[in-house]
Amino acid sequence: MVKATIVESVMGAFGFGEDNILVEKMFFPKDAVETAERLKKIEDGTLIDEISGLIDNLKKKGYTQFVFENQKMAITANKKLNIEVSVEPSSEAGNLFRENLVTIALDSGFVEKPEQLRAHLHKVSMELAKIKVKKVVEKRDMLVAQAVLSVDDLDKSLNLFMGRIREWYGLHFPELDRLLEKHETYSRLVVKLGRKENFTIEKLEQEGLPQNKSKMIAEVAAASMGADIIEDDLAQIQYMCSHVLELYSLRQNLENYVEAVMDEVAPNTKAVAGSLLGGRLIALAGGLMNLAKLPASTMQILGAEKALFRSLKTKARPPKHGIIFQHPLIHDGKRWQRGKIARALAGKITIAARVDAFKGEYAADDLKADLEKRVQEITERYPNPPPTPAPTKREFKGKQKNRRQNRRNKRGPKR
Amino acid sequence: MNVDLNVKPHPAFEEIFWVTLEDGSRKLGTKNFSPGNSVYGERLIKFEGTEYRLWEPFRSKLAAAILKGLKTVPVCLDQKVLYLGAASGTTPSHISDIVGENGHVYCVEFASRSLRELVNNVVAFRYNMSPILADARLPESYSRMVEQVSTIYCDVAQPEQAKLLADNADMFLAEGGWVMLAIKAQSIDVTKDPAEVIRKETAILESRGFNIKQVVGLEPFDKAHAMVVAQK
Ligand SMILES: C[S@@+](CC[C@H](N)C(=O)[O-])C[C@H]1O[C@@H](n2cnc3c(N)ncnc32)[C@H](O)[C@@H]1O
Repeated sequence: MVKATIVESVMGAFGFGEDNILVEKMFFPKDAVETAERLKKIEDGTLIDEISGLIDNLKKKGYTQFVFENQKMAITANKKLNIEVSVEPSSEAGNLFRENLVTIALDSGFVEKPEQLRAHLHKVSMELAKIKVKKVVEKRDMLVAQAVLSVDDLDKSLNLFMGRIREWYGLHFPELDRLLEKHETYSRLVVKLGRKENFTIEKLEQEGLPQNKSKMIAEVAAASMGADIIEDDLAQIQYMCSHVLELYSLRQNLENYVEAVMDEVAPNTKAVAGSLLGGRLIALAGGLMNLAKLPASTMQILGAEKALFRSLKTKARPPKHGIIFQHPLIHDGKRWQRGKIARALAGKITIAARVDAFKGEYAADDLKADLEKRVQEITERYPNPPPTPAPTKREFKGKQKNRRQNRRNKRGPKR
Repeated sequence: MNVDLNVKPHPAFEEIFWVTLEDGSRKLGTKNFSPGNSVYGERLIKFEGTEYRLWEPFRSKLAAAILKGLKTVPVCLDQKVLYLGAASGTTPSHISDIVGENGHVYCVEFASRSLRELVNNVVAFRYNMSPILADARLPESYSRMVEQVSTIYCDVAQPEQAKLLADNADMFLAEGGWVMLAIKAQSIDVTKDPAEVIRKETAILESRGFNIKQVVGLEPFDKAHAMVVAQK
């Protein structure tokens, strides 16, 4: 088993054998733009000719095991080239290479003078930074907002379709509806397994369901009260399901896109609120800049305008939270803690949006740590539900409510 | 008081200067690597044919640390420096002045907006700098762009910065190399008092093989900040 370490650099790809001796190299073209493009591909885990060429040559020399410093590249090489790989972030060969970068550049004839290497390093890093930054154009916040709204539209449609499918396929296998909550799994099983007679333990497990769940479904299927179904009728349901599954993969695709773009447009908001919720807030506010200008109290009820107006009209209690209610911290919080958590969360999202809009730095880990700590304080301070007073109808006017809430704030623990 | 403007080398630190202004006040300065260009609005001074940039301690923690009595400034002529959390280049630009044309400053920054400013306003005029858009927590993601360095400067204002710095050192720092860590005491753990936070972070560095050489508080230039200097 002969091991080689692959080290990539601005010059090209290098292969080191046992004792960290340089045995093979593949230079990139000396053009800075072309080099940057290659490095970007490597970063994204895309195989490029220089690397597969290098590995081919190493294989010819008898090397069978390949060490990479970066996991993404290792995974790709393993899949695409069918070679044995391992990952070692600061490999000995890599460290040696970085220590002797200038010497290697000179000895290998890549440059004649050290200054040329310095200049090349500068140019390539500029080009690579430009490629990576270029994707961040103004107004991209509105594009990501539209993508999030599309996810929401899809969810509505998917719910509608799935209600129909569950009822439709339910004529044949009514009990399944209750047993499988996840729409996607339900659809997939209908497409893959078809009629209820095929819902056996083995097949269900093959589809990735846990053992006990498979057992339960199989038992219910065997004793099902549903009517028989002919091939034609089943095929139509399956056809519908397969299209729904495609919509699910479209949804996943959109979600990945939102995730990636949010990282560039509003990384702090994304880190604190989550990418979908962050995108929804941007959409509701009409842009990142607008979102950043909102006071925390508005952030807290953004998306609950309907409820707010209703409360103004009917004198019902004003809403405590808008769509930030979707955040797991509030969602999973105890009922009586939610208002306080919502306030804390809204405060942090407000700061995050401002950093994104005005400073562009990344500071969200701090914000997240602060928030978690605040939530912990809340859960410790209010472990039990407050005693419920006899319900009294209170007069409610916008301004007054604010004052009352401020007073309540003051009584709460200080930040 | 009206005196003649003059510039003298700092007695202890190579490539760092004392600038005496017309009103008699004394400011730190560095030789402008890119004459004519100011990076963050700092004043440019011409003296005996050379242009210097005033180095503002309220804007740059390294300048603050020097004014607060740093014994070693592990950045000097011809050195390679890895800078984590370069933002839009305030401090990195002065380091670029110091290391000069045979040195190099590798600037890692996570936020694309800051990096864009860094590229357009600073690195474009300084061929001894490289901008790197990356997360400093993942040194292996930019190892292709960086060579071995003799100093790592870390100012990311994030929790776990000591660990992140040590991870970078494993990959890029030369034997016997130096690190500087700007610690924002409140930003690591809001519940602990500043001194405690600094102790914890320095303990992490020690456990990873560093000798702590000095810790200086940066008041009044920066509240609740300290600069840690250590050697591997
Ligand atoms: C306090 S500022 C640095 C100021 C700069 N050192 C100066 O003096 O000019 C901190 C910077 O670290 C960046 N940052 C935060 N976390 C980071 C990470 N994990 N990787 C890289 N940069 C990060 C932020 O985006 C921000 O620009």
